[in-house]
Amino acid sequence: MTTQTPLAPAATRVRPPASRTAGNGAVRRRKTTTVVLSIISVFIFLCAVFPVYWMINTSFQPNNEIRSSTLHFWPDNFTLRNYYTVLFEPGRTPFLPALGNSLVVTLLTVTIALVFAFLASLAVTRFRFKSRKAFILTILIIQMIPAEAMIVSTYRVLDGWHLLNTIIGLTLVYVATVLPFTIWTLRGFVNGIPVELEEAGMVDGLSRSGAFWKITFPLLAPGLVATGVFGFIQAWNEFLLALVVNSRPDMMTLPVWLRTFQTLTGTTNWAAIMAGSTLMAIPVIVFFLIVQGRMTSGLVSGAVKG
Amino acid sequence: MKKKLGVLALVAASALALTSCASNGDPGSSGAPAADAKIRVWLVGTDTPKEAREYLTTTFEKENPGSKLIIEEQSWTGLVDKLNTNLSGSDSPDVVEVGNTQAAAFTSAGAFLDLTKEFDSLGGKDLLPGFVEAGSYDGKFYAAPLYSGARLVFFKKDALSAAGLTVPTTLADYVSNGKKLAADNAGKSGIWWPGQDWYNALPFIWENGGEVATFKDGKWSSAFSTANSLEGLKQVQDAMVNASRAPKDGKEDNPQVGFCDGTSLQLSAPSWVKWSILAPADSETPGCPDQEENLGVYALPGKDGGAASVMAGGSNIAVSNKSKNPELATKALKIILSDEFQTIYAKNGLVPAKLSLAKELGTDEVATATAEAAGKARLTPPSPKWADVEAAGLLQDFFVKIAQGGDVESLAKELDKKIDGVLNG
Amino acid sequence: MSTLNSARPRVPDEPKEPELPQPAGPKLSGRAKLGTKLTPYGLLVPALAVLAVVIGWPLINLIIMSFQKFGRAQVFGAPPEWIGFGNYAKVLSDSTFWEVLGRSLLFCLVCVVFTMLLGTLIAMMMVRLTKFFRLLLSVGLLLAWAMPALTATIVWGWIFDTDYGVINNVLVNVFGLDFQQHSWLINPVSFFFVAAIIVIWGAVPFVTFTVYAGLTQVPDEVLEAASLDGAGYVQRFRLIVFPYLKSIFVVITILQIIWDLRVFTQIYALQGIGGIKEQTSTLGVYIYQTSLGSGEYGIGGAIAVITVIILMAISLYYVRQSIKEEEL
Repeated sequence: MTTQTPLAPAATRVRPPASRTAGNGAVRRRKTTTVVLSIISVFIFLCAVFPVYWMINTSFQPNNEIRSSTLHFWPDNFTLRNYYTVLFEPGRTPFLPALGNSLVVTLLTVTIALVFAFLASLAVTRFRFKSRKAFILTILIIQMIPAEAMIVSTYRVLDGWHLLNTIIGLTLVYVATVLPFTIWTLRGFVNGIPVELEEAGMVDGLSRSGAFWKITFPLLAPGLVATGVFGFIQAWNEFLLALVVNSRPDMMTLPVWLRTFQTLTGTTNWAAIMAGSTLMAIPVIVFFLIVQGRMTSGLVSGAVKG
Repeated sequence: MKKKLGVLALVAASALALTSCASNGDPGSSGAPAADAKIRVWLVGTDTPKEAREYLTTTFEKENPGSKLIIEEQSWTGLVDKLNTNLSGSDSPDVVEVGNTQAAAFTSAGAFLDLTKEFDSLGGKDLLPGFVEAGSYDGKFYAAPLYSGARLVFFKKDALSAAGLTVPTTLADYVSNGKKLAADNAGKSGIWWPGQDWYNALPFIWENGGEVATFKDGKWSSAFSTANSLEGLKQVQDAMVNASRAPKDGKEDNPQVGFCDGTSLQLSAPSWVKWSILAPADSETPGCPDQEENLGVYALPGKDGGAASVMAGGSNIAVSNKSKNPELATKALKIILSDEFQTIYAKNGLVPAKLSLAKELGTDEVATATAEAAGKARLTPPSPKWADVEAAGLLQDFFVKIAQGGDVESLAKELDKKIDGVLNG
Repeated sequence: MSTLNSARPRVPDEPKEPELPQPAGPKLSGRAKLGTKLTPYGLLVPALAVLAVVIGWPLINLIIMSFQKFGRAQVFGAPPEWIGFGNYAKVLSDSTFWEVLGRSLLFCLVCVVFTMLLGTLIAMMMVRLTKFFRLLLSVGLLLAWAMPALTATIVWGWIFDTDYGVINNVLVNVFGLDFQQHSWLINPVSFFFVAAIIVIWGAVPFVTFTVYAGLTQVPDEVLEAASLDGAGYVQRFRLIVFPYLKSIFVVITILQIIWDLRVFTQIYALQGIGGIKEQTSTLGVYIYQTSLGSGEYGIGGAIAVITVIILMAISLYYVRQSIKEEEL
């Protein structure tokens, strides 16, 4: 969805992290610091990645070797059997429909939330109006409500609109869940783009809305990406509401699907859970890689100038 | 021009509203039960065999031409959450399976259709009595038994004979055997008993004449700290501390793992665990079929010999009060409780819902032990609030502390206070 | 709006003092003015509509419920009974609630402090790393961030598994310590140690990336000036860099507090693996257990309302600041 965002060259004018010019005597000291820091960074990298590695490592091991007293730090008995189980084993709740549901719901959520949040953030930054403050406060407070308490009420609202077991229903709930954060973040971002730019555009003959779309919107790209990533992770990983609201097996999303590998008879297919988790993480990582460059620069301006 | 943006926003909002209305047509149109109705049946987990599912679908569709029966498999994780919401909504499933200890919460809340009139045609007195009790509330019958699984003791024959032991005949022997096995085999469990497993602890209370909770004058009172119960609990602690090497805060999941890698010499588990243990080594959840010869099984012995009263696990099945086609749903329920359908459970090692079908379990060691244990199986107190005791994890917490070697008497008193609060709250 | 807003790299030729956003534009006729007045409301309609339907209405329901005796029977249609502040009185007089609250606040505090500290340190480190190591670190953090909380908890729970966990295995076999069959979850302190690792591990990337992005916007001259003055690293950070990042810190700290106080998934999933529930429940789990688990929706609603009030009180300072700035 981000690829559809018109990206003006201006948006890429993010300053690269500056290499600082060293003071005269400090060169050597700086070099040793850099080495030390590099070593530390490798250590942090390992800490961050280990659980991810462990998940992937496990997913490639035969099930009877996972729970045994000898540890396997790499999949020395490499097998794809767990992936076969997860993807094709007959009698299993199939992976692909769940993947489809998750993708559609998540992408719709991100797109709708970004559009709505963009409009709302324009309202609160470019206009003065009564109850503006109240609105901003409200979206902060909304984020404090424990979702677990609202499940039954939310269920009933969706039921009232006949939106149970539908993509739209779940999307609607997720949009509402990520909207407050998205508006909050984008607001700071829009604030960072001077009104003068729009005015200049209007002098050049653009309409006000034309100036928004042609000038402000492209400049917002990093902000949209940063907030989009957040919304993506939220919607992709949500479990409890999806479990309750979309109870028909064909409307299941991935987090719920992942749970079908635990049974009452008390046998858990750990390797399959790990293979499933790995598969579930792939779309997120792909999405991250696509938007990665823009994300870091975007994160700032948003959260940031609250 | 500025208005354009506002207009755009309005259009977006109304588009949203429209799409939501457009999907209205989905849930079955109201009115008389159409001949082409769809009945949704929630079966939980993979416990119901494929053969039974196929029998149910084909029989139902043959008997009710034009109607369809769809089995929707649900998972045990989050089942209560799902039932709480979905049974009260307009998109409710028609027939639902529910864990026997969870049933009371829903029968008392009015979630299920009153089946009192159907009681006799569903099997009447032939239905497993404990499960009928669990599915009844206020003198009315709501949820029929679906299947049950008795708990049996599985053991390694070679380990038992190496220690010079034989199959125990009393509960005290069972514990002392376990302790001897653990002492003889360092690092191994004479009785594999993870701390969260409270199901296996209840027989000790019952056999010593104790109760979980008693009902008197409209009030429940938890009975863990009575003298009889304490006797049993001390035995439990003895076994957990001295015979078991399982994690003190572990769950009773995956019992086959320890059995197969040789660290669990005895364990008490539902009868179907036999199939987990004997599952092919390359299956999804691998077992150890080479141990078949060495796998022994017996029903947990009672205090004075015979089989002990064990905790029955299993399911009930009911029709949702919100079902749009209650007649058809009831028909589906009748098929599920038919002898043919229930026999399939028996053939797969689960105790069928009808007493008269117990003989279908077969005649091998496991089957006879199952039948023996099932005959004396008991359930948790039939209070609508009991499910809340389980949901709050009070028993798991209690037995984890017991397994850690905590003081039984004071812990039991504390537990009684908590359970009283929940049951009478 | 913030006075420290010089950090705006996308527009290099901007004026030094940021102009306050104003309803600027050419002079408008009376009719158009009315249009302008309505435009912001029009822009808010989609967001407000969604929030009103999906959050607003259930929230009102929740508040109403919190004044009723609302149990499972009420879900299935029995008429609820009004009991005024009964649920609130019950919650506030229940020692369990206070234990849960204290535990949650403490856990939240620890997680927020460590998350912010680690996130900031790593971000500062990233500025000084060579390109390769910076990329390496970013990839690692991205992977950690992308991992769903539920899956992460399962994996971590397994790493700390009593019987087959890596940690115990390494401690026993490599370091020769007595960690054979050591349960990491049975002791509440140890339970929260594991939980904190999971939460912090998952939250650090967000903080790191945000702070890092903020750091890249601190003008070089500022840092240089600081290092010429011979200021120590801590000093330099506190006096010169921090003011630039203050608004970032305030916002992410608030967000972390909100998220960590409401933490649900990690604790809930970890309790499924081991530990003693009554000693390890936090607000999110307690609310879930009370409302969905035990069917006491009225009481669950009351706890939720109390939670929101507490969170509002905690972020009051920030909210006030925020309002003040809005008034500019």
